[in-house]
Amino acid sequence: MLPLISIVLATLTIGTAATFLAGKASRWVALATSAAFLGEVALMFLDYTGWPGYAGSPLVPGFAEQESHAWIHLPWLQVNYTVGVDGISLVLILLTAILQIATVVYSWAESRRPAAYFGLVLLTCLGSFGVFVALDVLLFFLFWEAVLIPMFFLIGLWGGPRRRYAALKFFVYTHVASIVMLVGLLATVFYSGATSLDFAAVDASARTLSRVDQAFLFLALFFGFGVKFPIVPFHTWLPDAHVEAPTGGSVLLAGLLLKLGGYGLIRWAVEVLPSGFAEDRSLLFVIAFVSIVWGSVVSLAQRDLKRLIAFSSINHMGIVLLAIALNSSLGLLAAVLMMFAHGIVSALLFMSAGTVHHTFGTRDLAGLGGITPTAPALATMIMAGALASLGLPALIGFPAEFTALLATWYGLGYWVFVPLGILVVTAAFYLWMMQRMLFGPARGVPAAAHDVPWYEGAGMGLLVVLTVLFGILPGLLVNVITSSPVHGFPGP
Amino acid sequence: MSGTWQVAATFAPELVVLASALLVFLLDVVGVRRLEVVGGVGVAGSALAFVLVLADLGLAPLAALRTIGAGAIDVAPAAGSSPLYFVSSFGLVFQALFLSASFLVGLASLSRDSREPGAPIFFGLLSLATLGMLLVAVASDLIFLLLAIEVTSISTYLLVGYTRRGIRPLEAAMKFYVIGAVSSTLAFFGASLIFGAYGTTNLFRIAAVAGSVGYPVLALLGYGFLIAGLAFKTTLVPFHAWAVDVYDGAPTDVSAFLAGGSKKVGVFAFFLVFLGPVLFVHPGAPGNPFGGSPFAIGPIVQIALAVFAVLTMTVGNVLALLQKEMKRLLAYSSISQAGYMLLGITVGTAPALAGATFQVLAHVLMKGGAFLVVAGVAGLGVGPLVDDWRGLGTRRPLTGAAFALMLLSLAGVPLTVGFVSKFVLFSSAVEAQGYFVWLAVAGLLNSALSVFYYARILKTMYFEPSDPDGAPAAPVATLRLPAGGLGYGRAAAIAIAAVAIVLLGVYPQPILGPIQAAASSFHALGA
Repeated sequence: MLPLISIVLATLTIGTAATFLAGKASRWVALATSAAFLGEVALMFLDYTGWPGYAGSPLVPGFAEQESHAWIHLPWLQVNYTVGVDGISLVLILLTAILQIATVVYSWAESRRPAAYFGLVLLTCLGSFGVFVALDVLLFFLFWEAVLIPMFFLIGLWGGPRRRYAALKFFVYTHVASIVMLVGLLATVFYSGATSLDFAAVDASARTLSRVDQAFLFLALFFGFGVKFPIVPFHTWLPDAHVEAPTGGSVLLAGLLLKLGGYGLIRWAVEVLPSGFAEDRSLLFVIAFVSIVWGSVVSLAQRDLKRLIAFSSINHMGIVLLAIALNSSLGLLAAVLMMFAHGIVSALLFMSAGTVHHTFGTRDLAGLGGITPTAPALATMIMAGALASLGLPALIGFPAEFTALLATWYGLGYWVFVPLGILVVTAAFYLWMMQRMLFGPARGVPAAAHDVPWYEGAGMGLLVVLTVLFGILPGLLVNVITSSPVHGFPGP
Repeated sequence: MSGTWQVAATFAPELVVLASALLVFLLDVVGVRRLEVVGGVGVAGSALAFVLVLADLGLAPLAALRTIGAGAIDVAPAAGSSPLYFVSSFGLVFQALFLSASFLVGLASLSRDSREPGAPIFFGLLSLATLGMLLVAVASDLIFLLLAIEVTSISTYLLVGYTRRGIRPLEAAMKFYVIGAVSSTLAFFGASLIFGAYGTTNLFRIAAVAGSVGYPVLALLGYGFLIAGLAFKTTLVPFHAWAVDVYDGAPTDVSAFLAGGSKKVGVFAFFLVFLGPVLFVHPGAPGNPFGGSPFAIGPIVQIALAVFAVLTMTVGNVLALLQKEMKRLLAYSSISQAGYMLLGITVGTAPALAGATFQVLAHVLMKGGAFLVVAGVAGLGVGPLVDDWRGLGTRRPLTGAAFALMLLSLAGVPLTVGFVSKFVLFSSAVEAQGYFVWLAVAGLLNSALSVFYYARILKTMYFEPSDPDGAPAAPVATLRLPAGGLGYGRAAAIAIAAVAIVLLGVYPQPILGPIQAAASSFHALGA
């Protein structure tokens, strides 16, 4: 049995280091690393599912690909390098690999210090991969923080005019949240008397805590993960960071970093502190509904395309939170599907926004219209992204949102009309926006504007293909996700 | 081996350092003042002593160099005897830390301006200060301890002012001297009161006598003065005000030594006086509300230390937020780090002791390293303000990356030694339960706070263009040195520190394990 996870970590580490040092050849090194990463993740998938007969057959219970080595020994505490994957993390790892290669290809022509740029992109993905595989509190926290620093530099060095402010705000918000999260996790460990930081040990001993203790600890963890989500009212770093970040940064920020919050909440808060989760669920519902409504209403008022997508991310992640809070296996499925779908779709949309920006010199929705004749390929991909985002059947957004709404109906009954109503309004707005921007008379289109360059087209094209693929065959993911029930989640 | 030889063997590292100091001064007298020669002697002395200490610690490949038998370490003296010194593995660990600080600073100083006079004085004094530090680590008598501290102090007073150029180093040296003299007086006065109370200054004897007669007012007063005196040396708030001016005014290499090296003498003295032999006489004495708390006169001293620790962390961090000059900022951050170390002393369990020691090691690497970088880029014409560092990260990628790494480590970002040390330290406080948990929380909040000013430096270094007004990016340096203008010695020292920060951040066990073992055996002395 190959230690696949360590192999991936080694691939990414060596590839990242080589990228930093490769100078002009860095994009090739980055591409090779990303391809190897994707291949290894595919191997992991096959290994996990026992392809080809995996559909419907029982999958590995618990964690697969586990490895555990002693790391730091304290007299009262074991810290191990323990890694492993289950269906939930595997789907998000797949997302990581897809977004990494798409970002590298999309940014192919990056001319400002390309070695550092590609190195930081790879480092972000390395950290995210680590977060998804880590099964030890300290290891998890280490990767969690390791994502922060490359993103800080990506925003601060390659960003827009207000990049310094945005980078610092991003860093401070998420770092403070990380600290609270770490305190929460360590407090869980110490109060429950766990002698190891391994997920299994923490999980087992934390359940013995009283409901009240769990409720408080859960709040700390929820805050820590929630800021990354981001939940209203701790979301204000997100629009700033997104607007100022370079396109590659925005893609990873929306596609991956927000998922870290969702994954962390499921794995380290909901699963470890089930009673605390049950106590605090009502708070989660409130915040989820506020995020859904607020994110979407505010996004309607935006003129900057990137800001609009950023706020719609808050709305989508609100649905993820809602699905988690439902405390049902269907809700869990919906949350993970939703994260995967949003990862692909928001990446696609941010790439489109980036291309619009440097093709037409503006992202201002009011000043732009009728770009289809000039840039038909770009228009097609924007259309695909927008339609997937509003949940058109046969695209990836549909199975995710449908599952989420279904789970909400089972769990909350008529409350489902809140997200549903918002969805309808958003959909109408998106269509109106598409109509203005893509069709109709040309406005604000420079004479020299051309269609999307091949590398950007290739990056976005990959995502479009996957949007369709997983939209038609969501079962590829569903079976993997449902193989990993979170403790205590009842059926639909 | 006869008695004299045995003593000589026990003090082999100290003798090596002393010999290198004397040789440096001798070379000066006979007219050999070349930087490479005198510097080489000083650095070689600390390197050799470092190897000897590692051999005594039981590092297997160095077994042949071992000068003290394995059975002679960590042995408490026979009851009734009052030796001046005794060798513990914990003391050896600290000797290794001191020597590594001295080695790094010496190595970096090989790259100073070779035309500058005073190199022999610098390296000679550096070795003498190191000698005092080594002696502190083997002390088992209050007077021996305080005299050893005095050896270090006097050498460092001179180090601060030895260049005799400009008014600031002289002012700093004068200030350092006056404050140092006051703090020494306080500590000696405290020791004399303790002698008055117990009739001995030997730490083991004090422990035995206090076990039978308890803690008379005289002894408590003595401890009060002793704490005050040591608090000056360790830059604990409110005895910290001198440190910023001194670190700021001193030649930057000397600041690196003060912050990274000689300040830790006070930390070890705290360990020795409060966690070593002395105050462990009644662990868990009846009537002690803290149960198994290690201090017999416990609660009061412990709470006093806890207040010191929290104050020091917080004041250091808050004032660092306000600084505009790089050296002053690092000085305040150094004060706050002393608070973390004191936290380990306050908690007082063996794991906390190990955590504090690991924090000392981390601080040697990251703060010592940071000051060395500051000294190096000052030679490239970068001014004293944080704003003068604009664009440095992109102009000098390697130096910038090393400095960034040190700042991230100071901020406690994972994958650096600073994270591991804080993790071990804070989790040991939590493990001790009781109100120590809140100390850990205070420490965590403080490290969250400290991120702000470290991130601000990173932002200045990487995100701000170097010359907004079109002024030359870097004024012409006074001299051209190899290795990117830093000089080989400095570049090597910075590289060693940076690599160690990462290696120990990724896999600390090889160093952390021995430190924990040494800390537990030291802790067991008082039990």
